[in-house]
Amino acid sequence: MSGHETANILSLRNVTKSFGGLTVISDVSFDVPRGARMALIGPNGAGKTTVFNLISGFYQPSEGDILLEGKPIQQIPSRKRIGLGIARSFQNIRLMPHLSVIENVMLGQQANAGGLVDMLKPLSFFGHSAWRHEAEALLDEMELSSYPGEVVATLPYGVRKKIEVVRALAAKPRILLLDEPAAGLNGAETDNLTSFLKRLSATGITLLVVEHDMGLVRRLCDDAVVLNFGRKIYDGKTATVQDNPLVLEAYLGPRHAGTVKEGAADVA
Amino acid sequence: MSGYWTGILTILSINIIMAYAVFLPVATGQLNLGGAGFQALGAYTAAFLSAAFGLNAWVTIPAAMAVGGLVSMAIAFPLLRTKGVYLVLATFALAEVIAGVILNTDALGGAMGLSVPDFLDYHVPLIAAVLVTLFVFYLMATRFGLTMRAAHDDDVVTDLLGVSVRGVRVAAFSLGGALAGLAGALYAHTFSFVDIQSFNASLSIYVLLYVLLGGTQTAFGPLFGAAFFTLLPEGLRVVMPELKTFIAAAFHQSGPLSPPDESWRFVILGVLTVLMMAFRPEGLITRSLIERLKPGRRTKRLDVAQEVSA
Amino acid sequence: MLLIQQVLNGVMLGSVYVTVAVAFTLTIGVLNFLNFTIPTLFMLSGMAAWALTKWGIPFGLSQALPWPLALAAAVVMTIVASLIVERFTFRYMKTKYGDATEHAIPLVSSLGFLLIIENLIRIGYGTDAQRMAAVSWDTTVNLGGLLLRAPQLISLCVALVIVSGLNWVLKHSRIGRGLRAIAENPDAANILGVDSRRLVPVIFMLTGLLCGLAGILFAINYGEVSPQMGEDIGSKAIAGMVIGGLGSIWGAVLGGLIIGITEMMTIHFFGADTVQVAVWGLLLVALFVRPQGLLGHHSIGKGKL
Repeated sequence: MSGHETANILSLRNVTKSFGGLTVISDVSFDVPRGARMALIGPNGAGKTTVFNLISGFYQPSEGDILLEGKPIQQIPSRKRIGLGIARSFQNIRLMPHLSVIENVMLGQQANAGGLVDMLKPLSFFGHSAWRHEAEALLDEMELSSYPGEVVATLPYGVRKKIEVVRALAAKPRILLLDEPAAGLNGAETDNLTSFLKRLSATGITLLVVEHDMGLVRRLCDDAVVLNFGRKIYDGKTATVQDNPLVLEAYLGPRHAGTVKEGAADVA
Repeated sequence: MSGYWTGILTILSINIIMAYAVFLPVATGQLNLGGAGFQALGAYTAAFLSAAFGLNAWVTIPAAMAVGGLVSMAIAFPLLRTKGVYLVLATFALAEVIAGVILNTDALGGAMGLSVPDFLDYHVPLIAAVLVTLFVFYLMATRFGLTMRAAHDDDVVTDLLGVSVRGVRVAAFSLGGALAGLAGALYAHTFSFVDIQSFNASLSIYVLLYVLLGGTQTAFGPLFGAAFFTLLPEGLRVVMPELKTFIAAAFHQSGPLSPPDESWRFVILGVLTVLMMAFRPEGLITRSLIERLKPGRRTKRLDVAQEVSA
Repeated sequence: MLLIQQVLNGVMLGSVYVTVAVAFTLTIGVLNFLNFTIPTLFMLSGMAAWALTKWGIPFGLSQALPWPLALAAAVVMTIVASLIVERFTFRYMKTKYGDATEHAIPLVSSLGFLLIIENLIRIGYGTDAQRMAAVSWDTTVNLGGLLLRAPQLISLCVALVIVSGLNWVLKHSRIGRGLRAIAENPDAANILGVDSRRLVPVIFMLTGLLCGLAGILFAINYGEVSPQMGEDIGSKAIAGMVIGGLGSIWGAVLGGLIIGITEMMTIHFFGADTVQVAVWGLLLVALFVRPQGLLGHHSIGKGKL
C-alpha cells in the first residue's frame, strides 16, 4: 500500500448491500481521512445506519470492499472488528439494561481484555481493579460519575445516550462511529457533547457521525457524506453541503430545491 | 444436631448447588430445562464408581463433576445452536434421553437403582454448597461474569463489543453441567441410593422455577430461591393437616390418602411462579433491589437530584 | 401380520398424540408461546371425567353424573381452565426490555400452572391411577385378522375431524384470518384492525377443547386415568409437534402419528423400556438436524419464545 492510501483510516470501495431483491446501499465509495471529523447524513431511510452496520460487521457487503488502513476487513467477523479499533454507538440505545453504568463501560473495554487471565480476574471483589478505575475515569470525563452503580434501565434517555458513547470509547478505538449521538439531548447537553467530541478528536480519534441535528454537524464536522436512497449524492465540505442542488432535492423534494435554502438545516 | 435438621441441611445444600448449576446457563440467556438429566449423570457416575470399583467419594465426586462438565460441553455446541423454544425443548429432550439410557443400562441397575457404599454425612454437601456459592459469587464479579450477563441482555451488541457470545455460553453451560454433576454425586453419597425416578422432568422444572423466582440477575437469586423452596414445606408442616382434611372432605375423599404434603409445596411454588411472572418477572432479587439496599445510596440519589435542580 | 397390527396400534395411539400436538402447535404457531399447561389440561379432562362419573361435582353439589354429561362437563371445565391460564400467562407477555429470558415469561407462568393444576388434582384425588368404567359400546372389530377397538377408531375419527375442521376455520373464516395475521406479525395485525385481545382467548379455547376431547377419549380408550397421565402424553405430543414442524397443523398430525408408530415399533422390537430413548432421541436428532421440522417454517419460534 502506498503512503497516500493509508492517509485514509477507513474507506468504502463500491459497496453494495442488498436484502433479497431490495438494494439498500448501492455502489457507495468514500474515504475517511485519519483524524477527520466526518458526518454521514441523509434523509430517513437513506441507509446511514446500514453503512455503520456494514463497517462494524453486523452485515456483510453484497459487493465491494471495506478497507481499514488499506486492508479489506469484510471477511473479519464482527466481534473482532472492535479489536481493530472500530467502535460504535447505536441509534436506538443498546446498552445492557440490567447492568450498571460502570459495568456497561467495563464491558466496552472487552476488546482489550479478552485473555483468560483478564476474564477470570475479579473486576471488583476486594477493592476495585485497574479496569474499574479506568472506567470511572472515563465516566468522570463525561460528567457521569454520579451514576456508576445505577442499573441502566432506570436512567433518563439523555444519560443513557452519553453512556453509550463512553462505552464505545472504553474500547480505545481509533475510529468511532456515532449513530445520532445528540438525539434526545437538550441544547446544553448537545453543546457539552460537541465540545467533548472535539476534545476527543484532538487526541487523534477519527469520528464518523450520523446525525440529524445540522447545528451539531456544522459545528463538529468539517467533512460530510450525504446519502439518499442508498446512493452517495455528496462528498465534500460540510460548509458547502447546503449549496448542493442534489442535497436540497433529497431533503425538500424537487419543487423546493433552490427556493428554500435555509430551511434545509431545520428539516435535516 | 438432630437427624431432622441434618436431613434438611443436606437437601438444602444439594438444592443450592443445583440452583447454581441451572443459574449459570440461565444467566447467559439460555433457559435450561434439563437440569435433572445432568444431576442424574453425576449421581450415577458417583454411584457406579463407588459400587463397582469401591472408589471413595474423594475420587467419585471429581469424576462426577468431570463427566457432567464434559458431557455438557460436548452437547453444548450443537445444543446452543438452537434458540428460544428450541433450546428449551432440546435441553428437556436431552434430560429424557439421559434418563432413558440409564433406565436401560443393566450395569447401572436399570429401574432398580443402585446402592452407594461410601456414605457421607451432611458436612460434605454443606461445605460444598458454601464453596460453590462463593465460587459463583466470585465468577459473577469477574469479567467473565460480566460478559455472561451481557450475553443475556443483548447477544448482538455483546458480540459487536468483542465478546465471543458462543464461547461464553458454552463455558457457562459446561460449568453448570459440572455443578449439576457435583449435586448428583453428593446426592448419591448422602442418600446412599440412586434411582432414576428421583431425577425426573419435574425436578428440572422445579429447579428452573426456583432459580427464576429468586432472580437471575445476581448470584443472590438462586441462593434465595433454593433456600425458600427447601424450607417452605417445613413451615407448611404446621398448617397443612387441617387444610388437607378439609379439602379432602370437599372432594368426597375419606380414609387413608396418599400423602399430599409434597403437593402443597408445588401448588404454592406454582402460585408464586404465576404471580411473580405477572408482577415481577425479573425474579425477587434484582440488581436494583440490591443497589437500593446498599448503604450510602440514598445520599447519592440526593446529590443527583440537587445537580438536576441546580 | 403382527407388524401391521402394531403399525395400526401405533396409528391409534398416535391419534391421541395428534390432538394434543395440534393444541401445542396452535399456540406456538400463532402466539409463539410454548404452553406447558397443555398436558395438564389433558389430564384435568380425564380426571374430571372420571371424578364426575364416580363422585359428582365437588363440595357435594351433585350426585355422580351419567357419563355423557360427565364427559361434556369435563371438556367444558378444561376450556374454562384454559381461559384462566390465558388470563394469567399470556396477558403479561408484554415485556419491559428486549432480553432473552424475559420472553419466556408466559412459558414460565405456564410451568407454574402445570404445578398448580396437577398438584391440586393430586391433593383432591390422590396420586393413584383410577379405573374408568368401560363404556357399553367397547367392542372389537375384526378386519381380516386385524383387530380394532371401537373407541380407538372413534378417537382417530374425532381427531381427524377436529384437525380438518380447525384447518378449515384457520384458512377460511374471519377469525382464522385474524389469527394468521397475528401469527405473521402481531403489531402489524393490530394496526390492520385485528383485535388480538379478543382473538387470543380463542386460541386458548381451542386449546382447551382439543385437550378436553383428547383427555376424555384417552380415558374411554385406556380405561385408566391418573394425575400423571399428562406427562407422558404431553412429552410425546411435544416430540411429535417438533418433528412435524412448529406451527404447522398437518405437521403436528404427521409428527404425532410418527411418534405413535415409533413407540409401537420400539416396543415390538426392543421392549417397553426403550421407548423413552427412542422418542426423545428422535426429537433431539430432529432438533439438531432439521429444527424447522418436516412441514414447518424455519422462522417460527426462533427469535423469541
